[in-house]
Amino acid sequence: MPLVEARGLVRIYRRGEHEIRPLDGLDIDIARGAYLALMGPSGSGKSTLLNLLAGIDRPTHGSLLIDGVDIGSLSRRALAEWRSRHVGIVFQLYNLVPVLTAYENVELPLLLHAWSRRERHRRVTTALEQVGIAHRHDHFPRQLSGGEEQRVAIARAIVTEPTLLLADEPTGDLDRTSAGAVLDLLGTLHRERQLTIVMVTHDPRAAERAEQTRHMENGRLAEVHA
Amino acid sequence: MKLLRVLRFARLQLQRHALRTMLALGGIAVAMLLWTVIRSAELGVAQATELTALDTKLIVYRQNRYCPFASQLPQHYASAIERIPGVRGVSPVKIVVSNCRASLDVLTFRGVQPEWVERNLAPGISMIDGSVDAWKARGDAALLGEELAARRRLRAGDTFRSAGVTATVAGIFSSEDPQDRNAAFVHLPFLQEQAKRGGSGGIVTQFTVTVDDPDRLEAVARAIDATFERDQFPTSTTPEKHFVARAAQDVVQLAGFASWVALAALVAVFALVANALALAMQARVRDTAVLEVLGYTGPLIAWMTLFEGLALAFVGGAIGAVAAWAGLAFLRPAFSAEGAVIEIVPSLAVVGTGLAASALVGVLAALAPALRAASLGAAQALRAG
Repeated sequence: MPLVEARGLVRIYRRGEHEIRPLDGLDIDIARGAYLALMGPSGSGKSTLLNLLAGIDRPTHGSLLIDGVDIGSLSRRALAEWRSRHVGIVFQLYNLVPVLTAYENVELPLLLHAWSRRERHRRVTTALEQVGIAHRHDHFPRQLSGGEEQRVAIARAIVTEPTLLLADEPTGDLDRTSAGAVLDLLGTLHRERQLTIVMVTHDPRAAERAEQTRHMENGRLAEVHA
Repeated sequence: MKLLRVLRFARLQLQRHALRTMLALGGIAVAMLLWTVIRSAELGVAQATELTALDTKLIVYRQNRYCPFASQLPQHYASAIERIPGVRGVSPVKIVVSNCRASLDVLTFRGVQPEWVERNLAPGISMIDGSVDAWKARGDAALLGEELAARRRLRAGDTFRSAGVTATVAGIFSSEDPQDRNAAFVHLPFLQEQAKRGGSGGIVTQFTVTVDDPDRLEAVARAIDATFERDQFPTSTTPEKHFVARAAQDVVQLAGFASWVALAALVAVFALVANALALAMQARVRDTAVLEVLGYTGPLIAWMTLFEGLALAFVGGAIGAVAAWAGLAFLRPAFSAEGAVIEIVPSLAVVGTGLAASALVGVLAALAPALRAASLGAAQALRAG
């Protein structure tokens, strides 16, 4: 059974009298432990799909099952709870909270769970070590390079040991060396943790690191490369 | 518990935006300092002018005279007043003030007789320094109320001069009565002799009359005025607190107006908190979106914002209210008009009320930014941010 099972996904936004359909009847299955790259032109629906997978947006029509849970049927509160346990997200612009240190940024998702301070410390330390940034734990985002910020963002995404790691253009704002390092890190996490990763990217070099690449066009999958 | 854990994040937001937080706290502290001083002045006015069921004191003044220098009554009226049914005690009092107008530091001398001190003053006071016996033993001695002594930094044995009167402090006492604890009690003949402007021996400013039954206060007052109605020096007798209210009318009116200023201070707290949070939330749209993405619910984000408002208002309010309380406790200011005294009372109850009011206003001011942050929605906020 696939981890993600989407059937007839439609997402409609209304801007005044205009109707925008970034997703228009998308069907997709993502296997547990897969490393999938989503490519496609701007407006093809990649980020919208990522938002639906992350549970921060809901489909207008269609069904979306993740690990057997119908995301569309969850209340806002239940969806937030589900998100905090099952999804980790990495953004193009890192989106670290500027007034928090690297450690505190990584700890942020753990505060929602009833773990002890010691357990939180253990998890944060492990995540920071895993992304190779433990030595900068007390630095603020402004004191880190782009690559380091993205490592902290990845640590924040994996610290709750999610089922699904979503990455939206994770190397889009990085130089080639830093981008390579981030992609290495995602690859390592995929191999060592059997983590299911869905990565949206415009960069073919990044897509090559994934096990599969799928192209989107006009809100649907255009073709599949295995 | 979850709320307690995530409130740390809200605390860090305040702590690490130090300049913004300090500016907001500074404004709130100033507003609450003003509020506390005004409420303390209003409390002093209420204590000095509002009649209670336990009040038994009347002031007999010269009719149609409104200043101690102008009110001159024959001392022998005392014996006539004493014979009126319901009167427990009478004291002829000579009042000399250093300033007849409303002022923050007026020294009021009350010339009284030793018997009155024994019967009426001594039972209701407790001596802090010196003694009543030392006062009785010396002609130029003065018994000072604690507020006056603290304001003038006087101790037993000190000699001081004011309004042309030079006296030596024989004792300092504490009292429940604001009029007593702000006055200097000296021997009546001594004051009559020293203060030539108000007449010489045999002339006093007023009589302080104590009645047996608080319910008969008005009846006794009418009886006293009726006794001297056709005399050369007709009197006007009122309960002591009404007398203070009339004498210090300007101060009372000022306090009434100041209550609007106190209200404005709370409005200022509201505006400061609302402004600080609205700006913070605007700058943190992306952070709020990230929190939602991580699984923070709208209500949780709203609580965190409300906590920021509460913390700003409470801490700022505490700084202002406690500073006002400490300042009033140290300076002990009191308005005095025509010898009647209205203290600005440093009250912990006022500080407590101020803190509660400030906190409530802080939460109310944070409500709109909190609801806005809570309803933003992660996807929408990420696009906006």
